[in-house]
Amino acid sequence: MTLLSIPKEKAKDWIEGICFFILGFIGALIVGWFLFPMALYSEHTQPIDFNHAIHLENVEGDTLTEKCLYCHEFYEDGTFAGIPRIEKCEDCHDPESPMGDSLEEKKFLTKYQAQEKEIPWYHYYRQPPCVYFPHISHVKMAKIACKTCHGDHGTSELLPVYQENRISGYSRNIWGKHISGYKEHTWDRMKMDDCAECHTKKGHEEFNSCFTCHK
Amino acid sequence: MKLNRRNFILSLAGGLIGINFTPLPWKLMDDISIWTQNWPWVPVPERGRFHYEKTVCTLCPGGCGIKVRKVDGISGNRAVKIEGRTDYPVNPLGICPVGMGSLQLLYDESLRFTGPMKRGGMRGSGEFVNISWKEGISLLAKKINELRAKGKPESIVAIDGNRKGSTCSLLIERLIKAIGSPNYVRISNMEDTYEIACKLMAGKSSPVSFDLENSDYILSFGCALIDGWGSPGRIINAWSMWHDYNSKEKPKIVQIEPKASDTASKAAEWVAIRPGTEAAFALGIAHVIVKQGLYNKRFVENCCFGFKDWVGSDGQIHTGFKNILLKRYSPDRVSSITGVPKEKIISLAKEFAKAKRPVAIFGKDKGELPGSIFEYMAIMALNALVGSINRIGGLLIQDGLPLKDLDDPVLDSISRRGLRKDRLDDAGTEKAPFTHSIAEAISEKAEEIELLMIFSSNPLYTLPNTKALRKAFGKIPFIVTFSPFLDDSAMMADLALPDHVYLEKIDEVIWPTGLQYPLYGLSKPVISPIYNTKHTGDVVIQIAKKIGGSVAKSFPWSSFEDVVKYRVRGLYEAGGSVKYNADKPVWEMIRKREKPEKGYSSFSDMWKKIKENGLWFDVPDYNKCSFSTPSGKFEFFSHVLFYHKNKLKAMGVTARNDEAFMPHYESQELKVSGYELKMIPYGMINLSSGWMPSPPFVYKTIFDNQLLKEDSFVDINPKLAKSLKLKQADRVILSSPAGNIKVRVNITETVPPDCVYIPMGFGHTGYDEFIRGKGANPNEIILGRRDPVSGHKVWWSTPVKIVKL
Repeated sequence: MTLLSIPKEKAKDWIEGICFFILGFIGALIVGWFLFPMALYSEHTQPIDFNHAIHLENVEGDTLTEKCLYCHEFYEDGTFAGIPRIEKCEDCHDPESPMGDSLEEKKFLTKYQAQEKEIPWYHYYRQPPCVYFPHISHVKMAKIACKTCHGDHGTSELLPVYQENRISGYSRNIWGKHISGYKEHTWDRMKMDDCAECHTKKGHEEFNSCFTCHK
Repeated sequence: MKLNRRNFILSLAGGLIGINFTPLPWKLMDDISIWTQNWPWVPVPERGRFHYEKTVCTLCPGGCGIKVRKVDGISGNRAVKIEGRTDYPVNPLGICPVGMGSLQLLYDESLRFTGPMKRGGMRGSGEFVNISWKEGISLLAKKINELRAKGKPESIVAIDGNRKGSTCSLLIERLIKAIGSPNYVRISNMEDTYEIACKLMAGKSSPVSFDLENSDYILSFGCALIDGWGSPGRIINAWSMWHDYNSKEKPKIVQIEPKASDTASKAAEWVAIRPGTEAAFALGIAHVIVKQGLYNKRFVENCCFGFKDWVGSDGQIHTGFKNILLKRYSPDRVSSITGVPKEKIISLAKEFAKAKRPVAIFGKDKGELPGSIFEYMAIMALNALVGSINRIGGLLIQDGLPLKDLDDPVLDSISRRGLRKDRLDDAGTEKAPFTHSIAEAISEKAEEIELLMIFSSNPLYTLPNTKALRKAFGKIPFIVTFSPFLDDSAMMADLALPDHVYLEKIDEVIWPTGLQYPLYGLSKPVISPIYNTKHTGDVVIQIAKKIGGSVAKSFPWSSFEDVVKYRVRGLYEAGGSVKYNADKPVWEMIRKREKPEKGYSSFSDMWKKIKENGLWFDVPDYNKCSFSTPSGKFEFFSHVLFYHKNKLKAMGVTARNDEAFMPHYESQELKVSGYELKMIPYGMINLSSGWMPSPPFVYKTIFDNQLLKEDSFVDINPKLAKSLKLKQADRVILSSPAGNIKVRVNITETVPPDCVYIPMGFGHTGYDEFIRGKGANPNEIILGRRDPVSGHKVWWSTPVKIVKL
């Protein structure tokens, strides 16, 4: 029995049915590709709109990595400071003689520095507690540039809106901006497979064992 | 286009298929799996900057330097790890497993009293209700005042496990004395036996130490060197250092004990000896050394008394040690006593005497329990024969730490009357004239105790024959614990005034056990107290002030730290150093006769540095040939014992004539018909067997042939297993005349056929579910004779039998 041999009424029903099927299919694609990511992440603006680019110009260091390390330093024991505490900012920012007339600097000096309160930053690149990630072995020993994992974050003039996964509580940067997990650059995603991919590429497959990161 | 049932289902089907072509299901699956890893109750370390705080460990008398890794997260007060310090002379590389895991002692609420409490249910039920500190201190002060008013201050007893000479122990002793009770009872260990042996042979109750790192031949009489003996951090560091030496530099270690223990199996040689015959073995070696003329004539002739026959002031001829050795301890006789072939005795004696810097060390097992006086004297005499007393690489007899003494307390008429009464434990009386305390003896006099205070100790777990002691505790009307832990003894308490845990308080290390140079350590609070606890030193001062009158006058200080600071001034006056250079180990400085740099300019500078680094030490001068004995020499013939000659028989010394005043062998074994096996307890480095609990972490390091579910194991020889038709892990009842315990058997050739080896550290009745009821405590059934000189219970051999369940 071919479609032509089906009575007209029935064929119409079939076509209608296919249309509803396609509608459902397309609806699901819209939900999955567009609405779901919008619903999955909550958005937060950072307490201060930090300008990395302007800071890079004013800190010491011969290379970009050295400049980054000026603020994102290593402590004496080799642990990584991550986002600096306000005491580091105070090395340069003095409440009595601000470095510029930026509103963000003013906000820092009055709201945080004067009240000796740490800035409640949202961490874009924070790995979960079950992951042991030593910056020192990547930056100092393997000499990997900051950009490899953090992209152009260090040269940006504005901080992007922080997006937090409502289910896992992780930053969107861990899964990656693209909802499919597709990545173009090394810094697009920070999942376990990405660590392993880089280790393998650099000839360090031995570091892909569980205990290396999950201690 | 109509939305009917069919089309609706088709659109759903389309949606379902379509959704699989989007990231939604895969991403959701990933997120949900992550979500399940982040339950709010899963413990996650706080985030923040890490830093270390230096302090010293006071869990055992080992006195290791530790650093506590802290994270300055939200609370700013979270300790996350304990590590060994590399800038501390005792343990320049590491710490023991118990020390490493003991953050649980700090944070595990189920192990601790969270504040002052009084008993809420039946004794032993562990039910307590919260009270305020004011109420707790007033309640105790009232009880003490009532007993004083009744003229019965001597019925107040304190059992103290703090290290002898520590400021806390001095304050407790002072409180008891000021109240008017002679019954300040310390928990004894091998150092108490060292002191008595020293008093008898060297004239003063001094700490004994061994310069192991500079020695080239170590004859160890049952010391569990790598299982926690003395200061475990120091010994294990020394052992690993020796391991790296070349064969010429490496000291020869000979382990003399019945069991092929960890130390025996790692030693150059293991001599399997019958239990309790160490004194005979030492004297057998001494016999060969003397007979073959291998002894150090310079030291023996110039610095020793009683070697050759001598004439007393009354004209009486006394037999010298030499003749006693030659007549009584021939290799044949010693071989028949010890079970060691005579050829082995002869060859070891020759090796020992010919070594450049030999030393014989003593104190069985981990040294947590007292030893036998004549055994210690015999081994000290052996050291003297080869000139290894007060010599580099030998046994050192030094004065105690030069901490300032406290003035005598103020006594009123009630106190003076009370202090004239006899002690309940017979220590210092005619029955045990040289002994300071015999804690286990109080179980016989429990009816006379009205108030018992327990400090830093767990007598219901650590003292021999705990069953009898538990019964005795039941007769005491009021028991107060100052322990921070819900330990076995604290469960019987009517009032708990809990101390801080060691990381929360200032505390002292008084000369780590066996260390060859004087060292004082001061721990500092690296964590502010987590619960509503108070430093016992401060509480003792507050109780005294509450009691009032002469007792309050005896405590003019406002805090424990004031007293510590006052006493540390003695160290300042003595000199010494607060600056340790990790490249220059102290034992090397001793060998090179170098003095350390002081590292301070004034007392306040010194105090600041001690508080900061927790360290004061000195390099002593050796080669001293002067002793505080009546003869001024090291005495093979003890004048002190001779002065007590009329009491010795009553004390239980079986030797007669001059031999009774010299090192000699007499069997201390208790023989009971029907109990033909000997139970020998042993300690483990990964399990605390003292008053401190083992952190639950360390139970993960216990093997299945040591603890299986709720049963601990005893080690028995395959021959014994065969005769009793026992298989590996069979359940048995181990019985002594004092009682029974249930255990399993581990069949191993490492133990002799007539012995049953049982681990110490299991079988608690206190603490939490992770510690309570795990295995059996050998102290439950230990039954032994009293050492004739010290009066302490012989713990290392109990007659037992095994019955298969």
